[in-house]
Amino acid sequence: MRISKEALLIVLAFTVPFVVELRTVLAWFHIEVTVFESLLLGAALIVAILVWALFPQDGSRDTDASGSS
Amino acid sequence: MSDATVNDTTKTTGEPLGEAYLDKFPAEAKVVRSALYSSFLMLALGGLFGVIQTLHRTDFLRIMESETYYTVLTAHGVFLVIAFTIFFLVGVFTWGVTTSLDRGVEDIRFTWVWLGTMSAGAVMSAVAILAGFTDSIDMSADVLFTFYAPMQAHPLFYIGLTVFVVGTWLAGADWFRSWWAWKKENPGERIPLPTFMVLTTMIMWYVATIGVATAILAFLLPWSLGLIDSVNPTLTRTLFWFFGHPVVYFWLMPAYMMWYVLLPKISGGKLFSDPLARVVFVLFLLLSTPVGIHHQYLDPGISEGFKFIAMTNTMFLLLPSLLTAFTVVASMEHGARQRGGTGRIGWLKALPWRDPVFAGMALAGLMFAAGGFSGMINAGMNINYLVHNTLWVPGHFHLTVGTAVALTFMAATYWFLPQLTGKKLWGRSVALVQVVLWFIGMTFMTNAMHRAGLLGIPRRTAEPQYDGFEFEAGVGSVAELDAQIALGSIFLTLSLVLFFAVVIGTALGSRSDDIPANGYAEALSGPEDSPKILDNLKLWFGLAVVLVIIAYTFPLLSIIERGGLFGPDITAFPQSIDIVSMAWVTAEQYAVDAFTSASEATQAAINGVLR
Repeated sequence: MRISKEALLIVLAFTVPFVVELRTVLAWFHIEVTVFESLLLGAALIVAILVWALFPQDGSRDTDASGSS
Repeated sequence: MSDATVNDTTKTTGEPLGEAYLDKFPAEAKVVRSALYSSFLMLALGGLFGVIQTLHRTDFLRIMESETYYTVLTAHGVFLVIAFTIFFLVGVFTWGVTTSLDRGVEDIRFTWVWLGTMSAGAVMSAVAILAGFTDSIDMSADVLFTFYAPMQAHPLFYIGLTVFVVGTWLAGADWFRSWWAWKKENPGERIPLPTFMVLTTMIMWYVATIGVATAILAFLLPWSLGLIDSVNPTLTRTLFWFFGHPVVYFWLMPAYMMWYVLLPKISGGKLFSDPLARVVFVLFLLLSTPVGIHHQYLDPGISEGFKFIAMTNTMFLLLPSLLTAFTVVASMEHGARQRGGTGRIGWLKALPWRDPVFAGMALAGLMFAAGGFSGMINAGMNINYLVHNTLWVPGHFHLTVGTAVALTFMAATYWFLPQLTGKKLWGRSVALVQVVLWFIGMTFMTNAMHRAGLLGIPRRTAEPQYDGFEFEAGVGSVAELDAQIALGSIFLTLSLVLFFAVVIGTALGSRSDDIPANGYAEALSGPEDSPKILDNLKLWFGLAVVLVIIAYTFPLLSIIERGGLFGPDITAFPQSIDIVSMAWVTAEQYAVDAFTSASEATQAAINGVLR
């Protein structure tokens, strides 16, 4: 993993306000997005983050770049 | 005692191990633990009423009559913003004073007296509120947290609040007494930062509570006892907000204290600047109270000039919050770089995100930034008119007190519990999920509340919809906003369940020798770098009083001159309406209107014929 499970949880949490307000931002550009489309976009974003986080960096073994307490 | 002075052995946790708070101050630890457990009880009750009211208002689950909504709303508000926050902060302040002065309180029996006084007051007010749920007891206090006239509560509610506040005054006296004793033993020493924060906050509280004490003792309590017939509503509102805004800082300043003295330590570094922290607390002391009129921009009876002064003061109050944002982020960055973090943004990855204490406080601080921005909207006289008394306002304060304060307190609990019980934190991963869930729940709920406020959807009502009128959302629909609010409240409730699971799990655990040492963060720039005048508490108290006199003397005189001390015969809410005479007045008005219309039509017809 590129980051720890805990850091991944935090990153995923940060996607929530982004996804929630994405519709409002897109509406400024006259792009109407339904709730369902928002959910799809959110799911796609989460999958992308998971792929990035879980895929081993440079084919090497798992690393824990996040700090631990 | 700073963390530099403790035994610097480290075990698996990475934290220095040594003497826990319980080992050094067993008697005080018991008091702090009792205060925290009292606050958690209030949190449980307040949270329960929160989800009930949210699901009712959004029409997802109705288990009560709409009339009961106001009892639920009062319980939610008073239990959370008065009892939960203040019980928690008196515990934290006792820890802060004793830890930083490295000495116990002067007389532990007195400490128990003030905690007992506060508890007795809380029980009295709670009984008055909860009695509103049953008709068999002739008692209610459905007056919301903003308990000004013409809404009237049972006398027990006001007596309870008074006793509770007197308890906090005694608590402050306890901490001042401890500081004076320390000062005699350590002449010429600078006040340790946590004690400085406690003392400045308490001076602010003493000044601020003059307003609510006057409102209750001189007007509301005699009025509810039937000793006086009426009150001046504008006067009681103004006296309430004299206290009602600074109470916000009474909740917030302990959270700031946690961000200044714990967060840098948990981040692995040091506080960026001790002098800057002192400046921030002095600014809060000076500026917290003379701003309350900004809650009354739409109140008649207070001239625009006084409102403008309150707005200016409020804008100055942004300064200490912005200074805090700078100092806390700088301290976190210092900690991250000590842990090997590099790069302009990359250092964020080195922060201890797996630690629920850190993650909770960091997320709380982040949401506070959003709450600060919506607060600026509330503070502006012109733009406030757009959002006044709409759902925007609860959206704002669920970011400030509901997240910045509550989430910080919950995260800090995960640090305090082992210190106070000598037991390892149970369910560290559960705790992390809890703080993240709170962040997500509040994101949904407050986002929708702010947006609903912009549509003009009102607050403080069980039935926000009107016949023949539809609110229209700019993006999406009102139903979607309601769904967001309900979803958010469910996440928050789940988060609370997890919080209590961790607290109970820890409390039921067994003693451990693996508890991190008690202490707080050292500073990169310490107290020796701060001007000595900052520790002159008499000067800051005097200036705070002068500012309050300037801000409030003329508005209060003007209100009394206009409406009298006891007002123009204001009857208590709910007011009775004489149905028969109302019907007669309405019929009479219809008759006059019909006669006028008929006369006009006849006149027009005659004119037409004559032409």
